[in-house]
Amino acid sequence: MSVPADQLPVGIAACECLTPLGDAAATHAALLAGTRALRMTPVLGREGGDPVPLALLGPMDESLPPRWLADLRRLAARIPAAAWGTSRTPVVVTSSNFGVGSLHAFTRDRDPRHVAHGTPFASVELLRKEFGWGEQVHVFSHACVTAHLGLAHAARLLHAGLAERVLVFSYDFVSPFVAGGFHSLKILNGLMPAPYAVRETGAIGLGDGAAFAVLTRDGGPFYIAAHALHNEMYHFTGNEPAGAGFAACAAAIAAAAGGRRVWIKGHGTGTLEAGRLEAGELFRQFPDAPLTGWKGSLGHTLGSCGLVELALAIAAVRGGRIPGTVGGESPAFSGNVALQSFDGAAYDGAVLSANAFGGAHAAMLLAHD
Amino acid sequence: MIEKFIHPPRVERPGATEDATAARRRLADKFPRTALRRMTHLGLLLGSVLEGEALAPGDALVYASTFAETRALEDFLKSFPAASPLLFQTSIHPGGIQQVLIGRQQPVARLWPLAGRARLVEQALLTVLLEPAARTVLTGGEERGSWMLDLDMAAARPFAFAFVASREPAGAIGRISFEPGDFSDEPCPVLEKFVDALAGRRSLEWRGAGGICRLLWK
Repeated sequence: MSVPADQLPVGIAACECLTPLGDAAATHAALLAGTRALRMTPVLGREGGDPVPLALLGPMDESLPPRWLADLRRLAARIPAAAWGTSRTPVVVTSSNFGVGSLHAFTRDRDPRHVAHGTPFASVELLRKEFGWGEQVHVFSHACVTAHLGLAHAARLLHAGLAERVLVFSYDFVSPFVAGGFHSLKILNGLMPAPYAVRETGAIGLGDGAAFAVLTRDGGPFYIAAHALHNEMYHFTGNEPAGAGFAACAAAIAAAAGGRRVWIKGHGTGTLEAGRLEAGELFRQFPDAPLTGWKGSLGHTLGSCGLVELALAIAAVRGGRIPGTVGGESPAFSGNVALQSFDGAAYDGAVLSANAFGGAHAAMLLAHD
Repeated sequence: MIEKFIHPPRVERPGATEDATAARRRLADKFPRTALRRMTHLGLLLGSVLEGEALAPGDALVYASTFAETRALEDFLKSFPAASPLLFQTSIHPGGIQQVLIGRQQPVARLWPLAGRARLVEQALLTVLLEPAARTVLTGGEERGSWMLDLDMAAARPFAFAFVASREPAGAIGRISFEPGDFSDEPCPVLEKFVDALAGRRSLEWRGAGGICRLLWK
């Protein structure tokens, strides 16, 4: 069953990201050049372990202060000035892991300073104080669709007249905690990801990522026109075998896209079953739209991926050239997988999708004049 | 003013020392035996307060928990360097509510898992009030931590709650509302106090998010 998408258009007054390849413009240029940020790295950092593909902004080991703080300061310096965290200009923070890597560091080192930012609320409280935000900071955590939820919630706040502008801020940094977890599931292994490729063994990479967007009721030229969400609740880590969740979310966002000429930035982590289902359903709903994905270069930036990839999509449209599926291979799961970059001039919108544990699905429609 | 009517809430407030093993014994008849063995304490409590609540795929669910899957997180950390895949999946927010809904094979279009602390209740109520679904379930809870409790990273008392909010007053026993206005923030009730108010049918009112939040009973 497909529930209609939220169609509450909001303008994007500012949007930026930080990846191991740089800001949105630099990352876009690197993706066009086919650069992979992923490097084979011991899964537990300084404690060793199997080499796995990670795209990191610095050494993965937890430090004091946490390694993500300096990077987030750098990103936050680009947020337009406002009284963020007040009732008319609230902040929505989204992450999957927040500072949870610090808890692993605490259990290893027993240094109590690590726990000061180990929980979601403590991690956000650190950011709130660092960046001078007020108390109106909404916190969402829904694994890898989290950023989509934050953007959708911000649109609702704006359309209800409860806010003038909303800052959505998203971050996720790889730690031995996270890498060890995905490695235990065997999807983070010794192979580089090849999103949407038909091959024998699936593989993902993980990456550091952070991004923000300032949303307004008006404005442009870029705006988010719609959000679609669906939760299968079939299995913790697997999808409903017939792809019901992919179908519900893709159908809802396709209905919202109407007659727009769109390209698609898929989730495309490199796992086989989810990649096959995702590519198949998106092709069914958007047979003429090229499908691309960038996690073969950046790795999966987890809870931040929706916002990081939104910033990259905007940079791509601005630059006129949409990066292809870095790391992708032929044959692919569907005929519309774009392995090479393509001209953005023929399109007036993009569908950006993400999936998460629990069979969670999210898609948004990025539109531009 | 935005408001929704609330239908009879269900609350689980076992003793502070109840653990998952004791909860499995106490709530055994509410769950299939195979699911019971794997569920966490928070998952069991959430399953109990949502028992008999038939969610339609078009309903929405707002899930509020500050600490979430504390014990799975503690145990996952203990499993290193041979990280446990089961504990990893379970420890990820919103694993508590996913245990219940996956156990029931119950899809839901929109799930809003919140993870704040100081203004978590206010944010959860606003999320419910802004949700266009005909029925929105607000649920949440905590489980008691062990070593994380000593470091103020876990709840001291297990609890869970759930109620349906709708625009239909028929059958409602109270309402939640948000009245916009130019007010400064006051302290927001913490999740545990909110659950105490639900259990005792006590009204709450505070200023926050640029308005007045209210929980009122008939």
